[in-house]
Amino acid sequence: VKQTKKPNILAKVKSFPSMPGAAEKLLKLLDNPDTTAAQIEQILRYDPGLTANLLKLTNSVYFGLPCKVGSVKQAVVLLGWKRLVQLVMASCVNAVMGKPVPGYDLPAGKLWRHSIAVSVAAEDLAKELKISASEEIFTAALLHDVGKLILGGFVKEDLEKIETEASRGISFEVAERIVLDTDHAEIGAQILKNWSFPLALVNAVRWHHDPDSAGKTDILVDIVHVANILCLMIGIGVGREGLCYKSSPLATKRLGLKGTHLEMVASRTLQYVDELCDVSES
Amino acid sequence: MKQIVVVADMKVGQKGDIIVTHALGSCLGLMVYDPVAQVGGMLHAMLPLSKINPQKAEANPFMFVDTGVPKLFKKIYSMGGQKARLVVKAAGCSAPLGKNEMFKIGERNYTILKKLLWKNGMLLTAEAVGGSDGRTVYFDLSTGRTIISSKGLESEL
Repeated sequence: VKQTKKPNILAKVKSFPSMPGAAEKLLKLLDNPDTTAAQIEQILRYDPGLTANLLKLTNSVYFGLPCKVGSVKQAVVLLGWKRLVQLVMASCVNAVMGKPVPGYDLPAGKLWRHSIAVSVAAEDLAKELKISASEEIFTAALLHDVGKLILGGFVKEDLEKIETEASRGISFEVAERIVLDTDHAEIGAQILKNWSFPLALVNAVRWHHDPDSAGKTDILVDIVHVANILCLMIGIGVGREGLCYKSSPLATKRLGLKGTHLEMVASRTLQYVDELCDVSES
Repeated sequence: MKQIVVVADMKVGQKGDIIVTHALGSCLGLMVYDPVAQVGGMLHAMLPLSKINPQKAEANPFMFVDTGVPKLFKKIYSMGGQKARLVVKAAGCSAPLGKNEMFKIGERNYTILKKLLWKNGMLLTAEAVGGSDGRTVYFDLSTGRTIISSKGLESEL
């Protein structure tokens, strides 16, 4: 029987931090249409760090609010509930995704910048393609690589084997699977499952490198797939494995994607990323 | 002094300076050096042609190969560089795996560069382009030495 490290990897998934308590409560409240801004403020009052992060993101140029927002109440009114949920999520994962990631050789801050880049590129792609993708697109894109946080250490241990596999022209996550019996997409999906995230989000993370294997086709999966490759191409969050990932011709066909769409979105992504990252890094 | 060139950016310098750019994917990294004047510069351009978004090109010509490359050469000339002495090297222009044409932005970046150089009667001295590697470039303006780092390995270009 082939010895595999998968049990050790899954043990790490189990002990991976859960969502901060405040975030979990908030996400439940935000699901309920009767929730009031006051209730939200009540919860955030006990988590000043999260609140500060949330307001920083809210005030980033990206959202183009007409005035500086100083309270959660104002943020709710000006951004709406859906955006607020996304920003609560982003604020929660900001710290953990800002860490350096071994194996993929991502220095501190790079995975966060990549995640933000894929989020804004995915939203911009949907706009450019005139597709009404679900509101979950921002969060799905933001979290697509969360599995790297766990798998990175294991990738580092077996880097030589994985790189030997990958050097034969296969996608890096396929090489991960050959050597580790799992890949960062599967691990990411497992983390989101443990966080009780909606299935659509779990699937977008699970199949972001292999959208054609998702049980049923989903625009959300296809868009995150393309946005991820695009952001790697333009050098945002490129790790040691470079561009060693395969793009799906079927996904681009399903989206009706053309080269001009890609280049247009690429030309805008950088500015959006700077707008969002400057505030969260300062 | 060490200078970092980010995506859609250009930096120039002279003897004593080191210019670095990280994480070249499909972007073009272009290094130009005059060994006599000991001046040089590096461009990190993202997309081939500025016509895709002229507004962006106006705000930042370094985003595109067709607007960024002439800017780099003009700047080097203004610093005392002479065309006949210039050493020109290219890096980057890689692509994800698969045969999907629309993701070949790197190849198009390279093609536009070659066209521009050809029009001006210039050649590349060396290049590390294509494939699926991510690349980091260290460019030493005291010597013109150019080091490419990829997958933890360093090699001189």
